[in-house]
Parts: sequence; structure tokens; C-alpha cells
Amino acid sequence: MKRLSERFLPRFILSTALFICFSLTTWASIHEGGDVVKGKQLFNANCASCHKITDEVLAAPGLKGIDQRWKGKDELLIKWIQNPKAAAATGDPYVKSLVEKYVATYGWMANQAVSAEEIGHILTYVKEGDGGSAPVAEENTCLTYEEMQAAAGQGKENDGLIWIIIIGVILAIIGVSAANISRSLKNAMNERDGKPIDESAGYWESAKAWMWRHKVFVSLTGLFIFCYLVVGLYGALMDIGVYEAYKPEQPIWFSHASHVCKYEIDCQYCHSAAAESKHAGIPSANVCMNCHKGIKEGPVSGKKEIAKIYEAIGFDPATGTYIENYEQKPIEWNKVHNLPDHVYFNHSQHVTVAGLDCKQCHGPVQTYSVGRQATVEEINAQDDVPGLIKLTKPTLTMGWCIECHNKAEVDLASSAYYEEMHNRFTSNELGQRFLRSYLEENLKKGDGAPVDSLKTILSVKQLGGWECGKCHY
Amino acid sequence: MSRTLYTIATILAVAVGLSACKTDPNSPGVEYMPDMYRSPALEAYVDYGTNDYMDFTQSMKDKAGFVPVQSRKPAPGTIPYVGAEMAPFVMPYPLKNTPDDYERAATEIKSPLLSTREHIEKGREVYTKMCLHCHGEAGHGDGLISTKGAIAGIPDYATKLKDLPEGKIFHSITYGKGLMGQHASLINKLQRWQVTEWVKCLQQGITDPKFDENGMLIKPAAAPAEATTAASR
Repeated sequence: MKRLSERFLPRFILSTALFICFSLTTWASIHEGGDVVKGKQLFNANCASCHKITDEVLAAPGLKGIDQRWKGKDELLIKWIQNPKAAAATGDPYVKSLVEKYVATYGWMANQAVSAEEIGHILTYVKEGDGGSAPVAEENTCLTYEEMQAAAGQGKENDGLIWIIIIGVILAIIGVSAANISRSLKNAMNERDGKPIDESAGYWESAKAWMWRHKVFVSLTGLFIFCYLVVGLYGALMDIGVYEAYKPEQPIWFSHASHVCKYEIDCQYCHSAAAESKHAGIPSANVCMNCHKGIKEGPVSGKKEIAKIYEAIGFDPATGTYIENYEQKPIEWNKVHNLPDHVYFNHSQHVTVAGLDCKQCHGPVQTYSVGRQATVEEINAQDDVPGLIKLTKPTLTMGWCIECHNKAEVDLASSAYYEEMHNRFTSNELGQRFLRSYLEENLKKGDGAPVDSLKTILSVKQLGGWECGKCHY
Repeated sequence: MSRTLYTIATILAVAVGLSACKTDPNSPGVEYMPDMYRSPALEAYVDYGTNDYMDFTQSMKDKAGFVPVQSRKPAPGTIPYVGAEMAPFVMPYPLKNTPDDYERAATEIKSPLLSTREHIEKGREVYTKMCLHCHGEAGHGDGLISTKGAIAGIPDYATKLKDLPEGKIFHSITYGKGLMGQHASLINKLQRWQVTEWVKCLQQGITDPKFDENGMLIKPAAAPAEATTAASR
């Protein structure tokens, strides 16, 4: 007997221990007991591009409550994550319902290269979250133009004073006239009634007499006011057709500062037509959606402004899908940069051929909130634009254009465009003759030496940039 | 007396006239010859009737029957005419934006381009403009949009998407994948294939591509079979 117990007791203990261990592992679900920190890392690396741990739909359903929905099916869930199609092939009714419900909308999830242990970490993170750790408040280094102006204490232009003066002068004139009128009426009544008339000089007469007595002072002041008005009038007339700093309201409060400064999105991502078209192009709503399908809330205006994109394109942020047969609405942006109809301007010529930086003409756009026509002072003040050509005339005026065409230098040798033009010229005899005579007679650099090769830097003007027909036809 | 009234009237008129110039931020200011600003021919991005300031006269609008037109797509199946060299790149893409067609793209869609210096450098240029802010300079999914926390989990080309076939890359750029939107309206088919060539470099961890004397990409020794197929294509 003793021998028997001696033989079997260790085995019994071992098997019991194994049994307990085994049952413990089955009782503890994979939704708990993992490492939340590791889980968060893994989640952000593998899952976060489509899933959220809340019930919010990103590019696929949110994962909140996954421990309830998959209760007791840990093996299957691991399979579903590692290889969704294999899990679907098991014929489990819940997996089947998921496939029917979601795959047509969101597509199959790719096979995820995560081990069962890592899935445990991830699912623990999904269940428990990261304990609501507050996001670290980041210092806003992307101030808008308005904020910088306010910080510099320059706020809005103070043009209130001149109106107070104008209104004061008008009120004074009205008061004096009214007093004169009342005096005349009183005198007329007195004359009718035979009472004595107030013969003393009226206000106007006394003023005239005063002015005559102080004629030097009055004439100097008058001259000053006259000059001031003439200069003001000249300035007002010169402002006609000058739209510097024009900043119309826009249907969506779009901030260039947060898109360009904070995230450094290339100008040509949204204005993609600038490289190959006359127009820089206003992005259509689908371009906004390339990011805002996932980013549903902004730091400044919350969901309000981004919801306008969804409204225009017909996107349901709750399900993360586009509404079918939605009648899309245009976003009616207001045009900021207006050239007269009789001016031809082509973006691609300046962006692709000349290789200009957008900031050369559009200024520090990364500091603007809604679009604004840069002033020439702002453009000149930039120090982050290599080869910035400093100009003096107001932006979008003809003086500004031709000033730049005079100063800007074209490196013919490094431009495929001019190489192509040159090849076209030299491909036939007439062109060659024309080119030679043009080079010999017309193109002389500052020292008067004739220009005889493409290895020369010319100004746009020398290449015909001042020909009327280049821009006006 | 009447002279005084005239003075008042003139000053008031001047004041009103001046105040009309600058107070409304939605007004661009005074135009010389306003009719020279308005093209009778239809122009892109000109407002034909929604903004009071950028407006045609009512009679002109009535004559033309303008309605606000924006965000119009070309008719389905439109083939742009952009010259003979671009002909292979303007034909409609045969696959649809469905999960099944995404799988089909892996085998059915092959790059028409060789891995040449020209295409890879162009692709890199387009990648810098179009993809970098999310996918990062070396394609590790570490663009500023990702690192600043706006969109998380952008996959790394060099690890997670290392074996993604070029057809699927192209399909994803064309229609989008997951959270990424479609980029077919931003870059044409040639540019998409060029970006695909550059992404293929990033998949192999090549950030500084080297080219042989024929301008072909020199691939790392680990994948010589791939190089021969690309060259023979």
C-alpha cells in the first residue's frame, strides 16, 4: 500500500497542479492581465490606423466592448486577428455575422503579425484604456498672423481717431449753422414785431474777422490741411485696384497655420494643380477627406468647421462611411487673389519652369489663418526663402509683376524648359538664323559683352518678360 | 446760408464715400474699370453669382443663366488628351474600389515602368509633396501628422508593408486604403506609378538609391531575382 501511495502521490500532485494551472489559464481571459503600456504601443503600431478603443468608427468599427462580444472565444479571436479569412472559414456564427456586416463596407483586415501574447497586451489596453492620461499640452509654436499682431500690441489699425475728428468738425459746423439760423429767425421776428434787431456780428462774421486778424496762422493751417487732403486723395486714388491684405470671410474657417506650420503639409498637396495648370486650384472636398476622414475634431474650432466638409461631401462621421446617393454641395470659397480679366497669369510657368517658392508671391502663408493676400512688406520680411527677390510695388499690381520680371534671373542651363525651347529653335535653319541674330544683337549683359551660349543667366525681361503680349492678349 | 448747407452736404458725402472704401473686410476695395475684371467667357474659380462683391450685374447673370458651379467631376470614363507619350497612363483603371479588387490588384496590376533613375527621382519628388506629411521621409509612418498624434498607426513600408505587391500599392494610392483617402484626383497615373517605384525602394530600406550606368536602380544583393524581373519587364 505504502509503495503504491509513494508511487502515485507525486503523479497525483503533479497532475492536480497541471490541472489547476490549465484551468486558471482558461478562466483568465486574454482581455485582462496583459501589460497596458506594451498594449498601447502595439495598438498604436498595428491597429490605430483603422480602430479606436472607443466605440468611434475610424476606418473600421471601434473596439469598445470587444471583451463582452467575444466572451469565451479567445482562441477564435486570436485567429480572427492573425488571419481573419481563416477565422471566417471556421463557420462560427458570430464571425459570419461580422463578415456580413462589415467586410463589404470596410474590407478585410490584413493578417496581423502579432503573437497571442501580444494580442493579450493589446486587448488589455483596449479594455482598460491608458487610465485617462491627460494629453500633454503642447506649446503652440504656430501662431497666426493675427495672434502675432496682437502679441506685438499692434492689434487693429487705429483709424477711429480720424472719424472722431471728422464727426466733431461736422457737429461743430452744424451747431454754428443752427445758432446762425436761430439768430436770423429771431431777428426776422423782432423786425416784424418792431423790436430792436441784434446788430452784432454773427458767428460766421466774427470767425471771419478772427481769421483775418490771425491770417498767417490760418493760412498756414489751411495750407497744411489742404496738403493733407491732397496727399490723402492721392493715396486713395492709388489704392484703386490694389487689394493688398484682402482677407474675405470664408465658408469654412480654414487655418493655413495649423495645416502648413504645424503639420508641414506641402502647398502643392492641396493646391496640386499649381504645378501643371494655370490655376493653383482650390482643393475639392475629397482632398480634405484624405486626412479628415480620420481627424474629426480640430484644436481650435472643434467639430464645427470640419463638420462643414462632411456636410458638403456627404460623409457620416459616426459610421466612417460616405452616404450613398448624397447630393454633394459646393463649398463656396471666396476668391482672394483677383487679377483683372485682361491679365493672363499661369501658375505652372512660375512653379514648374521657374521653380519659384510659393512664398515669393504669397508671403508667409504658414502664419495666415484664412487666406489673405500678402502685402509686399510681409513678403520682403521673410527670411526662410532662399533667393527671395525683394520688391517694392504692392502685390498683384502690374508694377509688382514687371519689377520681378526685371530682377528675376533665369538660369537657362539648368532649365529643361529653355533647353527644349533652344532645341526647337536650333532644329531648323530659320530658327538658327533667328536665334543667332537675336543673341548677337539683343542680349548683352551688363558689361556689354554679347551672349553666345546657354550657360548664361538672363533676366526674365531679356527673354521677353516685358513683352505686352506675354500677359495681355 | 445755402453755402453752409452745401458745405455740410459735401463733407457728409465725402465722409460717406470714404467710409464705403475700407470698413467691410469682404470688400476687396475699389476696382478701376470693373468690367475689365469680369470675363464674359467662363473662367475657372470666378464667382458667377454668390458673392455680392465679386458679382456680375444682374442683367449679365440673367443673360447667361449662371448658377454656382464648383467641384464638378469630368464625365465618367473621360480620357484626357495629353499627348502620345502619356497615352498609356490616361486609360481608365480597370479595377473597382472593392475588397475583392484590392486582392486582384496584387496579381493583375503590374508596373509599366522600369526602376530607372528618372522614374525613381520623380517618384521621390511626388512622394515628398504628397505622402511625406503622413508616411514620413523614409516611409516609417513617422510624418508630422503621425508624430503629432493626429493620425496614429501609419504602417512602416520597411517592416509591416515590406511584401506589399506593387499592384496593391498602386491600388491603394488610387482608391485609398483604410484611413488613407484616394489620391487619383491629385496625381496622375504616371505619377502614381513613379511614387510606387519610390515606395518599392523604401520597402527595401533604400533611402539613397544608387543607379548603374544604364540608369537602372541597383538593388541590394538580397533580392537579385526581383532585379532581373524588373529589368526584363
